[in-house]
Formats: sequence, C-alpha cells, structure tokens
Amino acid sequence: MARISSNLRLLGNFIVLLLGITTLMFFALRATGDPIIVMAGENASAEMIDSLRQQYGFDQPLLLQYVYYLGNVLKLDFGASLASGQEALPYVLQQLPATFMLALFGMTVTITVSVPIGIWLGARPDRTGPRIVSAAVIVAQGLPGFVTALILIQLFVVKLMWLPSLGYADVRTWILPSVSLASFLAPKLIRVIAANVSESMRQEYIRTARSIGMSERGVLWREAFPNAILGTVALIGAQFAFLFSGAVIIEVLFHWPGIGLLLFESTQSLDFPVLQAIAFVIAVLVFVVNSLTNVAFHMIDPRVGKVIK
Amino acid sequence: MSARGNGSSGLRGRIKVPFDSIELTLGIVFLAIILMLVVFRSQLQTHDPYVGDLLDRFSEIGVNGHLLGTDNLGRDVWSRLLEGIRWSISAAVIDTLVAFVIGTFVGLAAAQSTGWARTILNQIVDMALAFPSLIIAMIVVAVVGRGFWPLTITLGLVTWPVFARIVFAEALTLLERDYVKASKSFGARPLLIMLGHILPGLRPTLAVVLAFHFADMLVAESALSFLGLGAPLGVPTWGNLLQESRDYLMVAPWLLAVPSVGIIYTVVAVNLIGDGLASIARRKGLRIDI
Repeated sequence: MARISSNLRLLGNFIVLLLGITTLMFFALRATGDPIIVMAGENASAEMIDSLRQQYGFDQPLLLQYVYYLGNVLKLDFGASLASGQEALPYVLQQLPATFMLALFGMTVTITVSVPIGIWLGARPDRTGPRIVSAAVIVAQGLPGFVTALILIQLFVVKLMWLPSLGYADVRTWILPSVSLASFLAPKLIRVIAANVSESMRQEYIRTARSIGMSERGVLWREAFPNAILGTVALIGAQFAFLFSGAVIIEVLFHWPGIGLLLFESTQSLDFPVLQAIAFVIAVLVFVVNSLTNVAFHMIDPRVGKVIK
Repeated sequence: MSARGNGSSGLRGRIKVPFDSIELTLGIVFLAIILMLVVFRSQLQTHDPYVGDLLDRFSEIGVNGHLLGTDNLGRDVWSRLLEGIRWSISAAVIDTLVAFVIGTFVGLAAAQSTGWARTILNQIVDMALAFPSLIIAMIVVAVVGRGFWPLTITLGLVTWPVFARIVFAEALTLLERDYVKASKSFGARPLLIMLGHILPGLRPTLAVVLAFHFADMLVAESALSFLGLGAPLGVPTWGNLLQESRDYLMVAPWLLAVPSVGIIYTVVAVNLIGDGLASIARRKGLRIDI
C-alpha cells in the first residue's frame, strides 16, 4: 500500500515537473523574444511577417496560444523546427543516442579512474603519497571540463596530431570527449570515495574485523569498500543526470552530434519548438535517472527507505 | 551577527578561525591576491586592454615588455586578464547573491509554514531542482542577449533551489532545538524566530554553500561566455579570452594557457575556502552534506 502511494506521488511529481517546465519555457521564450522577426530575416516586409505570424499562430492572444500549446504537448507535438522544418521532438530524439553514449563513456572513465584512486587515498590518508595526490585532486577539481577539453585538443590534436578532434564515426574521436568529461567529474567522486573509505575504516565493525584476525587487505575490500561505495551511488546518479544536460559545451567543442550541440545551434537561430522539445526531453531524462538512482539506492541499502519513512 | 551570549570569546574566535584550517588559510590568501589584482588593476595594467598594436601581434610571454604576451590584435594579455577578472568576479558575486537571497527566503518560508503551504513550496523546490538550470540559462541569454545583467540575473534565478533545499533541511532541525522551542513558548513571533535564531544558526552551512556556489558560478560564467551566451563581445572575461584563443591554438598557445590558469587558480582558491569552512564546521559537530 505504502509502495503504491509513493509511486503515485512520484508520478504526481513527474507531471508537475513537466507542466512546470513546459509552462516556463512557453512564457519565458515569448516574453523575451519574437521568433518571427528572427525567422523572417532582416529584409522581410511587414506583410511577410504578418503572414508568418498567422501561419505559426503567433497572432492569437497569449493565453489561447498557451492552451493550444499545452494541448499539443499532451500529444507530444512540439511543432516543426523553424530552422529545418522537421518535427521538433523526433528531431531531438534522433540526437539522443549520441548524448547517451557520451554520458556512458564519460561515466565509465570517471568510475574506472575514481574507485581505485579514491580507495587508495582513503585507506591511508596521512601518508605522504596520498597527501600529494589529494592536493592534486583539489587542483583538478578547479579545472572546468571545457578548459581540459581545450588543453587536450591543443596537445593531442594540434601538437602531437595523434587523434582526430571532431565527429562521432571514428572510435578514436570518442576518447577526448570522454576524458574531458571524466576530468571534470572524477575529482569530486574521488574525494567522496576517499572520505567514505577513511570514515568507514574508523567504524566499530572494522575494529571487530581486525580483532578476529582479518588481514588489512581483507578489511579494506570486504568491509570498508562496500560501505564506502554505498554513499557514492547518489553522487554517481547525479553525475549521470548532469551529463545529459551539462555536456553541452563538450558536445559543441568536439562537434558531437548530441542534444547539446542541437541545443547550442537552436539558441543561435532561436528555434523555439526545438528548444522547448529539448527542455522537455532533458527534464524527462533527468527525472528518470534520478528515480532510477533512488531505486538502486533502496535495492543496495534496505535501511534507506525505512529511515526516511 | 550579534555576539550576545558569546561574551569576549566572539572576537577572539573570529580572528583565530582562519588558522584552524590550512585549506581556509590558503584559500583566503589566494583569494586576497586576486582581489588585490582587481582593486589595483589600473596601476598594474601595463597597456590599454582594448587597444592593440598590429605590428606587435602574437608576442610571446615576456617579449616586447608584454608580461603575458599579446593576442591576435596585438593587445596586451596581462592587461586584458586584469580587466576581465573584475567582470567575472562581480558577475559571480551577484548571481550567487541572487540565488542566496531567493533560496534562503524560500527555504525558511517552507520550514516555517505547515500543511498545504509547505507541500506546495517543497514541490516548487523539487521541481526547480530537477530543471536543467544551465540549459534554461543558455536559452534565456540567447533570447535576451548577452550582457552583465541578463547573465547574472538568469544564473541567479535558475540556481536558487540549491540554497532552498539546504536551508529548508537545516532550518527544520534547528526548529527542534530547545532554545528555539523555549523562545516559541514565550510567544515569540515566527519572523523573530527565523531572523533571531534560525538564520544565525544556519551561518556555518550557508558559508560553505556560498563558497561552493560562487565557484560554480565562476565556471558557469566562463562556460556561457565561451559559448557566446554570457559576457558581451569584447569584454575580456575568462570565457571570452578562451573563446578568442581558439582560432590561434597553433601560433599562440599562451592565449589558451593564461585564462585557463586564471580560472583554475580562482576556483581552487574558492574551493579551498569552502573545504576549510566545511571541515571547521564538522569539527564543531555540525553535519554538512554537500
């Protein structure tokens, strides 16, 4: 029973979120700019502008436009792209696989790098080696992903000419964008893992494990590590969700054909239907990833649900 | 901000605090250097940041009296960097303040209210947290046009939920404290409790969140400016300098290096302050989950 009602609440939140975001996008876009002027171009006559306005329904009262628009959103119809004439939602969805792949690669590199380093730092935080690396991690955390990307392009594409910089087709073009994303996400994850490991190494059950003669290695991997990983599930989920909306600049830099690149291009041409569809799709993605993170959290650690209730 | 009840320990405590944490001390020193650069920039600039000498293009670092070289129009990079830091820092200060004021207000209001009002406020915060905020910012700036105020207000308006969420959670625990309950039982007004007890109690947490948010906003500004959706064209902010450097990566790599180092240095400084404040708060037994 509690399960059903919590699922219903989740569904309610989802609907409110989508309604909120579509409403905000609708009014914000119309309050701040006139796409018809942009569409018509600089040399358009007044008649041409009027006929375009009629064609796209921009001559109706705002509230009527809104009701009409909401009706269409319910049918998942965001209208046609002003730039390409394609239906906006399929147009956006067709960019989704590239964005998803980039998020997947970025996250894979991030986790692969962060887990061993984080554990190593957390196991013996007071030794010299870990201290130096910790300082380096703090510096790395100040490095925005797009700056790393620019430096990597400069180094590997311009100077050494080892890797091609643009595109999606060649596997070698996937390396730099993934590493750029990881360089931005990993420092945070490393620090959280390290903090969790050193925290759990101080717990009572570790002392018990040691006292019954478990080896240091066993203590670290069988006791401290699983508990430290628990606390990182939420962060990994949040980082994954962030990648759907936060990789815009990386996609632009590497000309990666994902939603971020489309978003950037649509802001240049003020392509309202596409912008609205993008905001909608990203809100759905972020919500789904967040909900899945919650589910994973409950599955891994049954205590979570009970504490909250 | 009153020191009542603290007696004489208040002042001493405040002076001693920075030295309780290496991170905080380092961060403050780093940030102080940047602030000095901002304040004394007109004395430190060796050239006019906006006027270049076309005969002196792409001078390398240290050549022809240019501390950090010159760009594609022969403008002095050191002088331009100093000019841009002021812009970037003040933009980040203002978006952080906008987000802080709105977020704290909403968070306190939600903690204070009951029943329906609280549910609605929390729903709004939840919804706003799930918004892809940078994307909204990009779209709004694209439509309104780049500039100081469009950028700062937009970034503030899309990032306030960060503050609201934390203030709400913290305020709820503070409301359960005995001294707050006592004050309530004497009939103190809700507003007085919020301003007199809850807000001061939130100070350590808010300081940490402010520091990290400020760092995020510095990066956000440079990223948006880099995409051409932030600072106006021509203003040499970090993002714009990086944007301009892209076409000359081959001939003038220092055009990329200088603003990169600037961003990293500043963000590290602010992160150190955040880390230091957080570890001090933790040592005092406060839980800070950020």
